[in-house]
Amino acid sequence: MAMFNREKPLETPSAAPMKDVAKEADTHARTPETPAAQVQILSRPPEQTSVARPRPASEPSRISGALKITGQLESDEDIQIDGHVEGDIRARRVIIGAGATINGNIFGDDVELSGTVNGKIDAASVVLSKTARMSGDVVHKALQIDKGAFIDGHCRPQDQAAAALQAQDKKRNGL
Amino acid sequence: MRAPFWKGAEGESDKQVGDDISLIGRSLKIRGLLETAGETHILGYVAGRINASRIVVGVGGHVEGDMVAQEVVLCGRLTGRVFALNVIIVPGAIVKGRVFHHTINAAKEAQIEGRMPWRPVNFFENLTELPKEL
Repeated sequence: MAMFNREKPLETPSAAPMKDVAKEADTHARTPETPAAQVQILSRPPEQTSVARPRPASEPSRISGALKITGQLESDEDIQIDGHVEGDIRARRVIIGAGATINGNIFGDDVELSGTVNGKIDAASVVLSKTARMSGDVVHKALQIDKGAFIDGHCRPQDQAAAALQAQDKKRNGL
Repeated sequence: MRAPFWKGAEGESDKQVGDDISLIGRSLKIRGLLETAGETHILGYVAGRINASRIVVGVGGHVEGDMVAQEVVLCGRLTGRVFALNVIIVPGAIVKGRVFHHTINAAKEAQIEGRMPWRPVNFFENLTELPKEL
C-alpha cells in the first residue's frame, strides 16, 4: 500500500498534462512491475543463502578401509577407494589404494591401481603400481605398469578394441 | 569434544576426515549396501542400505533406504528408515519415513514426514534383521 501511495502523486502530475494513451499504457505496464520487483527482492536473500550453503567445489569421495560396498558406484568426479567393493565403478578418476579389493569392472578416464581388482578396467589412462594385483583385462589408451605389478589378463588399447569390435560387426553384417 | 559434524559437513571437514571415515562425495551415486565399522559422511546419493557406527547425511546428501547406526546425523534428505540409538535432525533436513530411535534431537526447521517410534536400547543391540514393513 505504501508503495502505491508514494507513486501515485509522482505519476499523476506527469501523466495528467500529457493524457496520452501510450503513456497510460506505460503506467499500466509499470504498476504490475513494481510489486513483482518487490517480491523478487524479498525472495532473493533466502535464495542466496541456500545456494551459498552447499560447497561449490566438491571434495573427492573416499571409501575407507573399513567400508564394504555391494552395488554400483557412479560419479562424474574422483573416487578414492581403500575398502572393498563388490560391483562396478564408473568415475572420472578412480584411485584404488593398496589395501583395496574390487570385484567388478572399473570404467573411467583415469585409473590408478595399487590394490586388487578382479574384473575389467576400461580407462584412457591406466597406472598399475608395484603393489597392484589385476586379474582381468585392461582396455586403455595409455598404460603404465610398475615393476612388481601382477597382471593376469589381456591388455588392449582402446582404439584397437573398438576397431576389433567394428571389424566383428562388419563381418557379421557382411555374412 | 569434537565439533558438530553437520558443521564439518558444511565447512572445513577435510582436516577432520580421519582414516576410517568414508566420504560419499557430492557427485557420487551408489546403489547397494554399504557396511562399515566406522563412520560415513554422505554428500551424494545412496539408494539401498547403510550399516555404520555413525552416519552423517550432509547438506545436499540424499539417502533412499535404510540406515542402521549407533548415531545418525541428518542434514540432508532421507526417504526411508533410520534405526539408530541417537538421532540428530538438523535444521534444513528433509525426512520422509520412520525414525526408530532411543534418543532424538529434531531441530525446529527440519521437515519431518512420518513416525518417530521410540525403542529401548536392547532393540538396537539385538537388531539383526530389519522389520519388513515400512
